[in-house]
Amino acid sequence: MPVPLPSLLKTMLLLILLSGALLLVAVFFGLATGSSGLNPGELWTLIFRREQADPVTAAIIWQIRLPRVVLAAAAGATLALGGLVFQALLRNPLAEPYILGISGGAAVGALLGMMVGFASFPGVSLLAFAGSMATLLLVLSLAGGRHAPGKDTLLLGGVMMNAFCGALIMLLLALADNTRLRHALFWLMGDLSQIGREQLPLLLLLLPAMALVLLLARPLNLLLLGRESAAAMGVNVRAVSLTLLAVTSFMVGIVVSQAGLIGFVGLVVPHVFRLLVGPDHRLLIPACLLGGAAYLIACDLIARVLPAGEMPVGIVTALIGAPLFIFLLWKARP
Amino acid sequence: MKITLILLLLCSLWPAAADAQNPTREITDPTGRSVTLPATPRRVVSLAPGITEIIFALEREDILLGTTQFSNYPPAAQKITRIGSYVHPDLERIVALRPDLVLATRDGNPRRVIERLEALQIPVFAIDPRNLAEIKASLSALGTVLNAEAQAAALVADMETRLARLRQLTARIEHRPLVFFQVDAAPMVSVGEETFLHELIILAGGRNAAAGGPAYPRFGWEQILTLQPEVTIITSMAGGQSPEELRRAWEQWPQLKAVQNGRVHVVDADLFDRPTHRLLDGLEILARLIQPQIMAPVPAAAEPER
Amino acid sequence: MNVVSTDNLTLAYQRQPILSRVTFTVAAGEFFLIIGPNGSGKTSLLKAVAGLLAPAAGRVEVFGRPPREQPRRDFARRVAVVPQQTPADFPFRVAETVLMGRSPHLRLWELEKEADHRLAAEIMAFTEITHLADRRLDQLSGGERQRVFIARALCQQPRLLLLDEPTAALDPAHQIKILDLLERLRRDQGVTIIMISHDLNLAAMYGDRLLLLSDGGMAGLGTPKEVLTYDQLEKSYGCLMLVDENPLGQVPRVIPVPEKYAAPYGRTGQK
Repeated sequence: MPVPLPSLLKTMLLLILLSGALLLVAVFFGLATGSSGLNPGELWTLIFRREQADPVTAAIIWQIRLPRVVLAAAAGATLALGGLVFQALLRNPLAEPYILGISGGAAVGALLGMMVGFASFPGVSLLAFAGSMATLLLVLSLAGGRHAPGKDTLLLGGVMMNAFCGALIMLLLALADNTRLRHALFWLMGDLSQIGREQLPLLLLLLPAMALVLLLARPLNLLLLGRESAAAMGVNVRAVSLTLLAVTSFMVGIVVSQAGLIGFVGLVVPHVFRLLVGPDHRLLIPACLLGGAAYLIACDLIARVLPAGEMPVGIVTALIGAPLFIFLLWKARP
Repeated sequence: MKITLILLLLCSLWPAAADAQNPTREITDPTGRSVTLPATPRRVVSLAPGITEIIFALEREDILLGTTQFSNYPPAAQKITRIGSYVHPDLERIVALRPDLVLATRDGNPRRVIERLEALQIPVFAIDPRNLAEIKASLSALGTVLNAEAQAAALVADMETRLARLRQLTARIEHRPLVFFQVDAAPMVSVGEETFLHELIILAGGRNAAAGGPAYPRFGWEQILTLQPEVTIITSMAGGQSPEELRRAWEQWPQLKAVQNGRVHVVDADLFDRPTHRLLDGLEILARLIQPQIMAPVPAAAEPER
Repeated sequence: MNVVSTDNLTLAYQRQPILSRVTFTVAAGEFFLIIGPNGSGKTSLLKAVAGLLAPAAGRVEVFGRPPREQPRRDFARRVAVVPQQTPADFPFRVAETVLMGRSPHLRLWELEKEADHRLAAEIMAFTEITHLADRRLDQLSGGERQRVFIARALCQQPRLLLLDEPTAALDPAHQIKILDLLERLRRDQGVTIIMISHDLNLAAMYGDRLLLLSDGGMAGLGTPKEVLTYDQLEKSYGCLMLVDENPLGQVPRVIPVPEKYAAPYGRTGQK
């Protein structure tokens, strides 16, 4: 007597449809709202009746808001995916994309760039990316060897790296003058306001990385059984782990170099979707990508329209994310 | 694809529209950038409180549409629309005001914002005054740009008159006291030779205790006790502390000459923070505090202490 | 043809020797049991056969080639492992877990097909866990969980099944149930079974041949009658053992002797 199982493919399509729709709504509101006011009607005109559009509003929407919304989507998707992958690889629900020291390295690189006087692009971005990859390599080589990197060593190495970089960051902040200090703080709290249209093509690099992770969804499921069981079921644990680590860190490095350190997205979004969609990564990965994108667009929207003036988006994600996480913990108690 | 076409169309139309209604001219700003701006700007946004002060002084506040957060002088400036802060201007709010000219400072405004404004075909005229001579030059430049050359000339002339008078008075002094000028608390920060405050101290007849180091050197009490400044001037917002707290921190060291002689003074930060003509008011206050005897015949311009 | 063969296999973990010079073969369709005291290297030997542990010296071959030289996915289609324990926080449900056993037969991007679902359903019926399909693993008893992992291993459609103490935490009824299931598998489909067991009597009743490991090496290899002798068992396990004939069949029965019954037996185990 066959056991009825819901068709995975159907569920996947439904999920993509729903979260895709959510994302579209978020994009619309992201473009229609800003610090200069709400213009949903004008956005409508811009898209459908171009001749009647006002050039200044067009400039605001396409040249100022659109790059931000695209970056918010890319960053939200990447960070959520990063959190998901690290939580599975390290089998630790508190894992998030910065846990291997990427955030520390990126911050040190970015602050150095700011102290020296580089512009946001390309100087500070490049140094941030370089810093993140450097710390990643250090942590990997610490935990590496002939075998797949041991998860406990990775975690410890990452935490230590972040702590060390934290000290360096404090040092750099102490040496900074007031103006540089404020710039640095904005970067450290996540800042989507620096992006312009010229930097957007860089984000295309994220797409093949995301596709690769999606391809590795089933091995990621199997890794949850433990390394040996996964290997016994045909997974090349070392190759899969290293690939996932490297690809995810690369994506996160790119996002951090453009947007600074936005926290709580990678930690909270995967848990929310696990509650909604279940533990199968073949569903979780598309959900986190689309849902994470929509979530960060919404947070950035809030950050932009505050009457007191724009806040770094990282503050909004923290203010929403931390209580949300506590709520999830409370719900999950035995 | 369609979006690109729209943008190309709009970008090509914009300057053409500008040309038709508003003839432009090309001026090189004090930072060396060649800027094409309207001959008669009508919608101006300022990215620094000092620039806003100057605009009001040039009597061109009617064309000022937006300014940064702490633009508080003159009081009427507080009613101007805010477009973010000096360190983090809000691009969208600026663009929404449809300015035909933005006035910026190189020191402080992020270069990124200036680049993006220019990418949106909004001309940005930047000043970067580091000393009194450059402040005068900036005043003249802004006067030209805003078609207020007469007012600018008057301001510069006033500055020169007062400077000349001060030089005359301080030419005859015998003793230049050692002055410690404190701009921040916890940690204590003073001003080095690369700042315009240093220039003011010298003009006011003093010697800068913090000369010979970086622009904003830090000091501990040990160094102060060794230096033994004769006069201490503290700006009012140093470290966010009240004038009483700032003074009390000094008065716990009765070994200091400045403390013994009651020459620890707190001054209004706004007069010393901004590179504008009002520095002259600050300068006269400084002179009064550093060389009280020679300044007696000079009328007081503003409250010396708070 | 020998499904598994080892030649002077020596295993070590981080330079600490575990087993040295173990040589044995397992023929197709055999029910082969590995026994021995705690720490004798039984699990390590199983891992070596599964390709999860590299030999420090000597050779191990499965289906004619060393397991670590065979492509992982191909190997997983022929050899399945039922582990002793699984992570407590495994979040999947029974049906999903069982279906994972089909992974070696699917390409990276492929989803499970109708045929896969049907096979999983049949196997769940065979292991009598159909009624548990929607339950989460941490809600099951030890015995039920073991059946789930056996079902998953069976979905791999292996020719060789490796089990690490599958009955360790089970009551006698469940122990028999699972072992009967394995026996049926062996008899009906010719699957070769290599199992680690603590229970010497079950080993005697089910095993075609036994391998006794102790003191870092082989202590006995052969039929239950040949291996389960009281002097060998006493030497290996270090305690008094009474060995007589199991009334159910012509296999030995082993009874470890508590102190209060030890008097008549002196030191030799013979009355």
